[in-house]
Amino acid sequence: MHPILGNRARLGVYLAAWGVLGLLFAVLGRGGTARPFAAAALYTAPLALAYAFVCLSSWWVCRAAPLARTPPLRLGISLVVAAIVASAFWAMLGAAWTPVLAALAFDAASSDAPVPALAFLALGVPLYLFSAAIHYLIAAFEDSRRAERRALESQVVAREAELRALRAQLNPHFLFNSLNSINALAGSDPEAARRMCEGLGDFLRLTLALGARDWVTLGEELDLVEKYLAIEQVRFGSRLQVEVRATPEARASRVPPLLLQPLVENAVKHGIAARLEGGTVTIGAERHAGTLTVRVTNPFDPDAPHRQGEGLGLENVRRRLRALDPRHTSIAASQTAGCFEVVLSLGTARSESGGTP
Amino acid sequence: MTPVLRVAIVDDEPPARALLRDYLQAHADVEIVAECANGFEAVKALDTVRADLVLLDVQMPKLDGFEVLELLAPGPLVVFVTAYDEFALRAFEVSAVDYLLKPLGRDRLAAALERVRQRLGSTTPAGGGPAQPGSEAASQLVASRRGPGRFLDRIVVKDGPHVHVVPVDRVDVLEAQDDYVAIYADGKVHLKTQPLADLSQALDPARFVQVHRSYTVNVERIVRIELVAKDRRIAILRDGREIPVSRTGYARLRDKG
Repeated sequence: MHPILGNRARLGVYLAAWGVLGLLFAVLGRGGTARPFAAAALYTAPLALAYAFVCLSSWWVCRAAPLARTPPLRLGISLVVAAIVASAFWAMLGAAWTPVLAALAFDAASSDAPVPALAFLALGVPLYLFSAAIHYLIAAFEDSRRAERRALESQVVAREAELRALRAQLNPHFLFNSLNSINALAGSDPEAARRMCEGLGDFLRLTLALGARDWVTLGEELDLVEKYLAIEQVRFGSRLQVEVRATPEARASRVPPLLLQPLVENAVKHGIAARLEGGTVTIGAERHAGTLTVRVTNPFDPDAPHRQGEGLGLENVRRRLRALDPRHTSIAASQTAGCFEVVLSLGTARSESGGTP
Repeated sequence: MTPVLRVAIVDDEPPARALLRDYLQAHADVEIVAECANGFEAVKALDTVRADLVLLDVQMPKLDGFEVLELLAPGPLVVFVTAYDEFALRAFEVSAVDYLLKPLGRDRLAAALERVRQRLGSTTPAGGGPAQPGSEAASQLVASRRGPGRFLDRIVVKDGPHVHVVPVDRVDVLEAQDDYVAIYADGKVHLKTQPLADLSQALDPARFVQVHRSYTVNVERIVRIELVAKDRRIAILRDGREIPVSRTGYARLRDKG
């Protein structure tokens, strides 16, 4: 889209400026002759407006030779050549305009000597270059506005992803099932019921506390995950086993909050819960050369039907990482021989940078 | 003295079973005849033990509650007990007496039991309840499992005490045999009590086409179709099996492209 042709207000201002320029030519050009101003203006103003449209073509030169990526010499040559071609065309228009005016019975104009082609070139080249400069300016302005909008959009996407993650966190079915377990324990083992109430309360409180922060340590995130798994272990009994292995450097790494939790929840819901014999959810975390790698692994039943919501948690995490830093983060899911694994990796550039996401 | 209410509990979570057991103790007429931790156990147990009522969880490993119901011999009434409310409609479509949500309340279970007693009292004891999962209800069940735009992704088959779960993408062909459908998959044959048309309808029409009154074929298995006589065609499958294709069946296949 042409930045001036495509914008009515800009086109108006642009043509008005050229109109004024045309009248100015009339005043200046009258100097040597006895021509009245009106007759001179009749000659210069339409020509100025015609050249206004010719100069709009400099936009395509700007597009073909972007300021930042074109060597100066090539930039100069292409602009000057375009300017000379444009002014030559203008000179031809000027030469053609004189007999037309004469035919329209303004014989006063025809009596003068025609304006030399060199005058068109002398005026046309700088005017064309000036117009190209304006186009470059507008292009730069639009670029910066676009960049601003993109930044804003990605911020909105990041917030949205976080909200979604938080909402997914407060999974109602997890609460319903946990309450049902507490209900059961209240009859048979009141002490265990109390412990589970406490655990559930701790888990919910920690979820809210971590969710309110921009960054947490992986250690804090693992604490949350272990609280969650302890509650699920009451529900699933011996079917759910847990193994967490994280190096001290990994635990100290900074991560966005509640990033791991949905992955572990998936491992339980779609992996362990769908297997008769259950299995072990394994979480491993290590840090090498500034890159934190977290693995969540669980066995799954390859024949199990796909349940609703499968892949949703993974997609949320992926979206959050992308909004955070698409270059230094990654998430990959793979399945081999009844084993499902998600590998998260968070690079240095992000984890050592400023405190805002 | 009220008659004894024979109850089976099916839930994969130990605390959930414990809670039901605990609540049921307060009802003097209830006798717990089976306690199963998954769908397989339930189908097996209810083959040998007669129950009046099954308290059935929905989301369980291998076989979900609806699949268990599909495989049960006619007889017991069913009350679903689950944390998910989205299966309620389906539950009543398959004639469940009640649908209870976790966390489960003592009074809510008592009310469900009362409904069960009334149902049992209003029918002849020998005839079992109105839920007949083994026969007519089965096709209804399959239909209801489909829902809009959803098709079966596996077929459950009961073979004596064994239960087979056959993923539909392993199925080569379905063949009508009297009251059964023979399901050919992975070089094995499974028999299921259901009309071929009903089962065919529950499958994704983009993948399964009924090519003949007695045959529904997985289109991915077809290698080529041969014309053997006027209007008589056979489909050659990947394993060399030859399946007759009727005129309408051929038209259906052609529509698929």
